[in-house]
Amino acid sequence: MQLTRGARFRKLTAGWWNWLPLIPFLVITIGVMVLPLAFMLEGSFQSKEGFFTFDNYLQMTAPVYTQSFRNSILLSGITAILGTILGTAVGYFVHQLRSSRVRELVVTLCDVTSNFSGAPLAFAFIVILGSNGVLTLALSHYFGWKIYPTFSIYSFWGLVLAYTYFQLPLMVLLVLPAVAGLKQEWREAALSLGADARSYWRYIGLPILAPAILANLLLLFANAFGAYATAYTLTGSRFNLVTLQLGSLLTGEVLRDPGAGDAMGILTLFLMGATILLYQLAARRARRWRQ
Amino acid sequence: MKQRNVLGRMSIILFLVYMFLPILATYVFSIAIRWDRSILPEGLTFEWYQTAFQDRWFLIVFRHSITISAITVLVSTLLIVPTAYWVHLRLPRALPLLNLITTLPFAIPAVVLALGLIKLYGQGPLQLARTPPMLVLAYVIFTLPFMYRPVASSLEAIDIRRLTEAAQSLGASWPRTMLQVIFPNIMPGILSGGLLVFATIFGEFTLATLLVGARYKTFPMQLVYYTRRDGRIASAYSVISFTVAWATSLIILWITTWGTRRTSGSRSAGERLGQQAPVGGKV
Repeated sequence: MQLTRGARFRKLTAGWWNWLPLIPFLVITIGVMVLPLAFMLEGSFQSKEGFFTFDNYLQMTAPVYTQSFRNSILLSGITAILGTILGTAVGYFVHQLRSSRVRELVVTLCDVTSNFSGAPLAFAFIVILGSNGVLTLALSHYFGWKIYPTFSIYSFWGLVLAYTYFQLPLMVLLVLPAVAGLKQEWREAALSLGADARSYWRYIGLPILAPAILANLLLLFANAFGAYATAYTLTGSRFNLVTLQLGSLLTGEVLRDPGAGDAMGILTLFLMGATILLYQLAARRARRWRQ
Repeated sequence: MKQRNVLGRMSIILFLVYMFLPILATYVFSIAIRWDRSILPEGLTFEWYQTAFQDRWFLIVFRHSITISAITVLVSTLLIVPTAYWVHLRLPRALPLLNLITTLPFAIPAVVLALGLIKLYGQGPLQLARTPPMLVLAYVIFTLPFMYRPVASSLEAIDIRRLTEAAQSLGASWPRTMLQVIFPNIMPGILSGGLLVFATIFGEFTLATLLVGARYKTFPMQLVYYTRRDGRIASAYSVISFTVAWATSLIILWITTWGTRRTSGSRSAGERLGQQAPVGGKV
């Protein structure tokens, strides 16, 4: 039905008072989320004297900043890929389990362990893999394999191990619905048409799972990129990650340069925002198979 | 086929070992006299718990964490449940906006949020950004998705329009409709959202340390302090932290299973969990 301009306007504004109950919610989200980030954006384009400048962003090309972004991207990328590959495999095998009780148990465990993160998790890894850790001692005692000093829980690969711990169960939880969406009939149809298991996966299974896997990979990346507590507990601020840099800027451990901090924060937001956006697109595509 | 079974079983077992080993080791470490120079612990003791409990800081930080978590859950519930209900009932036009706002926190790392808050509210003699009330507000934002998602899916599972009309045609006022009709019907969503928020904040370190820091020490801050000072006390703190996380997760799981059984018994556990998987920024 065609509406006249006046009618359309009236329809749009009709019941504007219906927006009133949203005011408390909007005030808090704007005041605590939108405004601080907007001020940060403004600050990132401001020099110390308050003039407009690109210097803060140009400063990001300094080795200390490029290194922190490289380290953060590498750490998040590697643990997201590890989590995705291992998590998809475990998720698939869990789905195949015949006993639904064991299946529910593993799902419960994943749900609980994906909640374990931050300081207690970091400490648990110090207990097993610190220089006098339980596993460190057992490996050297039973296998004569001294993992220190080649490996250290306080180093990059130590962080990879600790991050994978919270990425893996999350991936299992995320991938299970997608795996459950693979219909048994598709597999039977493929096999009856002469496909072997490998070509079933190559031409049917994986292409169907691909959008879901990609979506979850992106989510895992964002999950690791924003992480702070685990890395802080393990390495203090010694290791150069974006979040640790920002943190030490806030606590005043490094020379105060608010402009650079703002630029770094905005770049982080941009990266995270783009990742989450791509995730949404991939997830929308993945849902098509689950109707 | 047989070979595949073995492979599957092996990987599940390896996965379970990886998941259990750090937790189990921490539990044993916390009751071991010493476990840093021998394969097995040198005897068992509760001394580290006693030392931890006797420290006057223990009660303080525990109380601080419980207080902050409980107040956040309360504020978050009062803010989000009526908003979500109203938008679902009267303002479906605003649903995309609400979905966008409640997804945004996924993309905002805690460190960046802290930076922005201190930039905007950190100046002046009041230093609003560095006070516990600001921490609560930051937590409300930080946990928006955890609270909103379960509440929204509960709202979608029941016919709120009919319930509201029925209540009001029988003469119930708005507050009464909310409290006596809508709240009880979406209780599973509110409870699981609230518990998830509680557990998340009880273990949250980043915002707490960067915003208020030593002015209002929380449990995780004290835990991090002890990881650098005394590993045995840190292990007692870790165990308590793990136990709170275990307990809340299991209660949430119990509630969602119970809630889904009552409303729509058809979805599988995996699907349910996959949708409510706590994601993002809690680490």
